[in-house]
Amino acid sequence: MKPENHDFEEVRSALRKAFPPFDTELRRDLWPAMRARLEAPSARVPWYDWALAGGLAGAMVVFPKLLLLFVYHL
Amino acid sequence: MNQHLYLRAYMAGVVVPTVLLLAGFSVFVIARFVYHVPAPIERLLVFPLVIVPNAFGLWNMLYVVQRPHWHVPIGLHGAALPFVLGPMGLVLGSELGFLRMTGNGIIWFEIVHIPIWLVCVIPFLGIAGYYLIWKYLVGFLNRVQGIE
Repeated sequence: MKPENHDFEEVRSALRKAFPPFDTELRRDLWPAMRARLEAPSARVPWYDWALAGGLAGAMVVFPKLLLLFVYHL
Repeated sequence: MNQHLYLRAYMAGVVVPTVLLLAGFSVFVIARFVYHVPAPIERLLVFPLVIVPNAFGLWNMLYVVQRPHWHVPIGLHGAALPFVLGPMGLVLGSELGFLRMTGNGIIWFEIVHIPIWLVCVIPFLGIAGYYLIWKYLVGFLNRVQGIE
């Protein structure tokens, strides 16, 4: 082996020791978790939020002029 | 993703009133130019155009600031905003001349007469509306921005 080739091999082995090969493989399959997340039911709206929304809508129907006031504050 | 957290919170907060302003502005324009309601739109717009969106953005920043120390649900945090904006709107409306108090209620824009009993109910309606808006709309935008 030529001396320059020897040096090259030494540098190469030193680099390999310093930088181990990257772990490019996934440790686990991510698709089932993704699928479970996609299929999970969305967060349910509690009954008191429905009641508030219904009360607000009812108030706007009974007193439509309030809509102008509400829009102004939004 | 943790960079510019407060800026993202501000932007997420500003979106809702800015989008709803389009609807509100349309209502005012139709009322003014189609039905000839004598409402001074130029003066009216100062509050919803300038103060409300900035208040939403700053209030959302405050939510992010106080969250690590004292976790309040975002709906309740938003429900507290009318306690700031309500008095500001009243003062501004009174100063700019489109809110007038009479013996039996309040007259808004010279067209909307609100009796006293309804004046007592309006804050609760405002709090309920802000609670829902913050819980579902601003909360959603915060999740989109990676804040929650």
